[in-house]
Amino acid sequence: MDSLGKDLNALVGEGKVKTDPVDLYAYSSDAIRYFVEHNPDAVVLPETTEDVSKVLNYAYHQTIPITPRGAGSGLAGGCVPIKGGIVLDMKRMNKILEINCSNLTARVEAGVALARFHQAVEKQGLFYPPDPQSLEVCTLGANVATRAGGPRGVKYGTTSNYVLGLEVVLSDGEVIRAGGICVKQSVGYDLTHLFTGSEGTLGVITKINLRLLPLPKARITGLIICESVDFGAKLISELIARGIIPAKLEFLHKGAIGLMNSCLANKIPLTGEAYLLFELDGGEKAVEENADNLKAVCEESSALELRMVPDQKEAESYWQARTNLNPILGAIFKRMINEDVTVPRDKIPEMFKAVEEISKNLGITIGMSGHGGDGNIHPVILMSQVSPELVKKADRAVEEIIKAGLGLGGTISGEHGIGLHKANFLTWELGERQVELFKQIKKVFDPKGIMNPGKIWRWEE
Amino acid sequence: MFELSSYQQSIEKCSSCKFCQATCPVFKEDLLETHNANARLALIQAGLLEKKLPLSQRFYEVLDRCLLCTTCASACPAKIPIEEVIISARFQIRKDEPKTALEKFKRRFMEKRGLGELLGKIGALASQIGLMPADFPKPANKPFSSTRAGIIPAEKEKRARVIYFVGCATNAFYPETAEDVVSVLTKNRIEVLIPEGMVCCGLPALADGDLELARELVQKNVQALSQISADALVTDCSSCGMVLKTKLSKILPENHPLKPSAELISGRVFEVTDYLNQKRLLNNPSELSVNYTYHIPCHRGWSPGLRDAPRALLSRIPKANLIEMASPENCCGAGGFFFYKFRDLSRNIRSHKIQDILKTKAEIVITQCPACRSYLSSALKEHKFMHPISLLARAYKI
Repeated sequence: MDSLGKDLNALVGEGKVKTDPVDLYAYSSDAIRYFVEHNPDAVVLPETTEDVSKVLNYAYHQTIPITPRGAGSGLAGGCVPIKGGIVLDMKRMNKILEINCSNLTARVEAGVALARFHQAVEKQGLFYPPDPQSLEVCTLGANVATRAGGPRGVKYGTTSNYVLGLEVVLSDGEVIRAGGICVKQSVGYDLTHLFTGSEGTLGVITKINLRLLPLPKARITGLIICESVDFGAKLISELIARGIIPAKLEFLHKGAIGLMNSCLANKIPLTGEAYLLFELDGGEKAVEENADNLKAVCEESSALELRMVPDQKEAESYWQARTNLNPILGAIFKRMINEDVTVPRDKIPEMFKAVEEISKNLGITIGMSGHGGDGNIHPVILMSQVSPELVKKADRAVEEIIKAGLGLGGTISGEHGIGLHKANFLTWELGERQVELFKQIKKVFDPKGIMNPGKIWRWEE
Repeated sequence: MFELSSYQQSIEKCSSCKFCQATCPVFKEDLLETHNANARLALIQAGLLEKKLPLSQRFYEVLDRCLLCTTCASACPAKIPIEEVIISARFQIRKDEPKTALEKFKRRFMEKRGLGELLGKIGALASQIGLMPADFPKPANKPFSSTRAGIIPAEKEKRARVIYFVGCATNAFYPETAEDVVSVLTKNRIEVLIPEGMVCCGLPALADGDLELARELVQKNVQALSQISADALVTDCSSCGMVLKTKLSKILPENHPLKPSAELISGRVFEVTDYLNQKRLLNNPSELSVNYTYHIPCHRGWSPGLRDAPRALLSRIPKANLIEMASPENCCGAGGFFFYKFRDLSRNIRSHKIQDILKTKAEIVITQCPACRSYLSSALKEHKFMHPISLLARAYKI
């Protein structure tokens, strides 16, 4: 073992440090391997805040890059150690410390997997809505670091709406506690929400205080079959305008439904061009009322079909198929680029039109199946082969999608974060001055520039 | 198949979504991403196909540290046959290596379906002088194959005729299970044919990456089985069933003349509880005042009915009370001979299962896998472990 490995071993103990090339390779990318791949020099699996603190203190004095990592299921290259150094795999810090039914809060370690947390709170009649589609494996710490979200964003927002307080290890190893466990807080600068979404560039999140909700008593899934993409997009805006806010409202293209059918026992008929898969939740009466209103809107606007899915098992199979959609696409296409542009919800029809135009003009396939209801439509550029021309076209498509989104008052990332993937476009949305402020803020927290270097904005060598 | 190059496209289907992290019993033990299916595929790609990563002891260890439980493959959204990729990688690595003593022993075991009476004698001797390896089951005095062969007619007019494939472990360690299978089937007016000349299904050979041996074994079995006509081929062992149902033709080399026969045979393979449940029980079992719990073997994906058939069949026994354990489908850690190579890892995986079983307070544990049964029973001496068919046989007072 080299000296870095020996030093780290001495600090945190054997079994928590890996330096074999085989292990380093396993930590060289996230869920978009072809986009960027770089080995770390060591992987450390801390089990306590103290472990993290020791490693950071050491890295600070030796000026070694630190890249925190959850499940490695990110889609923006945020956890790829592009400057080498140490990857901090947080998955072993996986204790649920407290679920407080009387305060509607929870305290957790950063490495708790989201699905396990969902199960734990739901068992007690509580609800933690954020549901990024990698929920079976992704960790709460990384969710906070990227402001992850999912289908439930339409009604419940994303992770950042639930963060009350954080324990963070700063770049020199010192531990601070930002925010707290109160649902109201007004104490100076909101560092809690500065670390939230900071993608590991300011410090390492080790513990989290989260806000919870009571678990809705009733829920029902349904599917609206639409004759055209435009119809489906307009229907989303119409539903929102009428005050019908489903817990989830997914826009799915016919092609996506075809792929989802491959894992469904009860196939969805391919009679429409676009589909809205939704879930209504709330009290039993409210769900019923919402379902009636939704039915009325569908009838008025003459949607092709509205089918409710009262069977809970069948409904779950639809949502599981939706969750699997991205990896299924990944299996079919040689390469795909997941865009995360989000637009105001009244602009959804225009955004769909713009993406369709871009796809047509460039002659490149762009899938359009996303969260819809929250304006986070996830255009995905699909390449069945990889050639220099096609890659160039894809890059063009990304730029144009982002321009279109920004032109409609949108944002370049709704829930994936910036990482490496969107770093080139940061100034497009924020302007030079704001990015300059970002850099100054980073200097305050990370004077040596060791915290997840190379991420969020473009780093000049 | 099972040549690594033929899996290149399958491997490339992996988009690294990492959903497999939620499934792998080995990964869950130390949460190191190297020990997850996704990383194994990436390492095979980099080390054996692209040859950009040097092969090392650690590389081999990562490939060996897979139970071949197939849980990741069942959940994989891209439907990558991950266990086949691992087997092919092991084959590529080992094909030119000399066989170890353990592998030579296993070869004889597989060819003789548990070494026949010899194993019983060796086992008895080893137990006497305290030389039985830890967690190994004690061989029965007489293997099933030495007592039974040929046609066993149905009681009363027959409804169907099945071939019963008796696996090595059942044959050598649990002959009473095989007896119960025969009795329960014939009592339900199903004629049972136990063919001669059967050898191991080939799974232990595949697990070692010994494709040549697996091919020899499969050829022998297919040759013998293709001569016999029957309505179905049943097996009591979920792992034999997986091979017979999903791997038989794949194991044979390209264009092998036996491939069509292999496919025909695979088409009529059933796990015995599933088969019986589909056929419906003709005789009502008598009451049996017991509490039992059910461990579902990992090799279940090949048979849609395997998971629930024992529950349905045994619910017919009055007063027999099923107490479900938490996560009955979680792995027990055995993985064929895996537990012998990675003792601590397997015991750690087993420890969760033991807790789940103990919490039920049931005195009987049923499962359709002899490896699970043997490995769990060596840790839970007070419990009775049996095949679901054996519980039914007890209720029939057979």
